[in-house]
Amino acid sequence: MSNRRMDRAETEAIREVLGGNRDAYRVLMDRHFSSVARVAFRITGNKEDAEEAAQEAFLRAYNKLPTFRQDSAFSTWITRIAMNTSINLVERRKRDLSYHAPRIADEPSAADGTVRVADGHASPEGALLSLEAATLRHEAMAGLTPMERAAFTLRHMEEIPMTEIATALNITVNSAKQAVFRAVGKLRRSLAPVAGGLR
Amino acid sequence: MKHFSEDDLIAYQLHESSDESAIHRHLEECKDCAALSESIAETLRVFSAEPFPQPDLEHNWQRLRGNLSVLTPEHPSRLSILRWHWAWPAIGLVAAALIVMAGVGLHLHHEQRTKLHLALDNHAINGHGPLTTQPTDPAIADHLDAAERLLTEVNNSQGSLDQTTREQAHTLLLKNAVYVHTARDSGDVAEAAVLENLGRVLTTLDNEPPTERSAWRLRLEMNTNGLLLDIRILRQNDDDKNQGAAQ
Ligand SMILES: [Zn+2]
Repeated sequence: MSNRRMDRAETEAIREVLGGNRDAYRVLMDRHFSSVARVAFRITGNKEDAEEAAQEAFLRAYNKLPTFRQDSAFSTWITRIAMNTSINLVERRKRDLSYHAPRIADEPSAADGTVRVADGHASPEGALLSLEAATLRHEAMAGLTPMERAAFTLRHMEEIPMTEIATALNITVNSAKQAVFRAVGKLRRSLAPVAGGLR
Repeated sequence: MKHFSEDDLIAYQLHESSDESAIHRHLEECKDCAALSESIAETLRVFSAEPFPQPDLEHNWQRLRGNLSVLTPEHPSRLSILRWHWAWPAIGLVAAALIVMAGVGLHLHHEQRTKLHLALDNHAINGHGPLTTQPTDPAIADHLDAAERLLTEVNNSQGSLDQTTREQAHTLLLKNAVYVHTARDSGDVAEAAVLENLGRVLTTLDNEPPTERSAWRLRLEMNTNGLLLDIRILRQNDDDKNQGAAQ
């Protein structure tokens, strides 16, 4: 995510693509698809959507390649686009879901105590390592808005700086921080019923 | 004793606090805040990164490859293929447009090279050179000027859009359709494409419910499709042309 200049191979690949050689784009894809898909995975929460969002990001970047200023890193640019396509995909999925089924928020969730701590776990953290806990985590994450989820996962799991997250999401740094804080607050409260001693 | 808020403690745990040492000292003597802070720390541990399933590169490349069009210097692809699709019938109908395009081919080529150096961001624009050799209708120039001011304001503002902004968008939208036709009729496909794109954003501005969320979506979309940048390039071209004419 740094602003470092691109190396020769990437600059050369871009020139070839702009000259009509589609296959040269593979160089950029080989180098960046995995990291872009990982960022997309943090935002979408599943492999299929992550790859779809990453695909869309690479396609968008390809079509906008003539506008790309080559003194910033392609990786920064493509990651930014991927954050956008990922959020768009999550919002689309949410809309589709609310159209066809009860909203996630309306379904019983961990917050009302339906998830129980299995016996034999010495600590709440131990309990949360179980499969049940994976479901709980998944449901808790589903309670976040796409923006909260994106800001939280990118900051906490990918350790992307707030300023970069804010730029990518086109919000102020303060808004990005607020989104992260709200996310952590919501997640913490979703753990409360199982985490016993936690407030 | 002044306690710290949950947000303060979250910031502290994420190393985003400007008050780190003060919070640290407080946590050593305040049981309540220490418990809350530990609860936040545990949340962050529970929601730490899950292993990421590596994608199959070959499979993804094959899928992507099928969607890639050939980029050539003949396609002034500053505007993406998607944004050009409407223009082809117009070009087919107005043969003159093709002649104009061919006539200014050198300019387009120069333009494209210049634009390679433009930022994705909305600042640091150093592109210049006319998109076409045709003089721009002063009414369109004024229109672009007003649109640029409005979009800049929308882009820089926070929260939902106020009533004045929405009314301005509505007025601009009514005029915009006329200018799209004017630009097309004069064979300025690039300008027409930008105006078309502007029309879509103005329509969204006009139709969307006045919520903070819809305003944010709009700003995000505006920035992703580079509309503001396009308008600024057109405006700058106009300025260059006017300066050229004055010399
Ligand atoms: Zn305290």
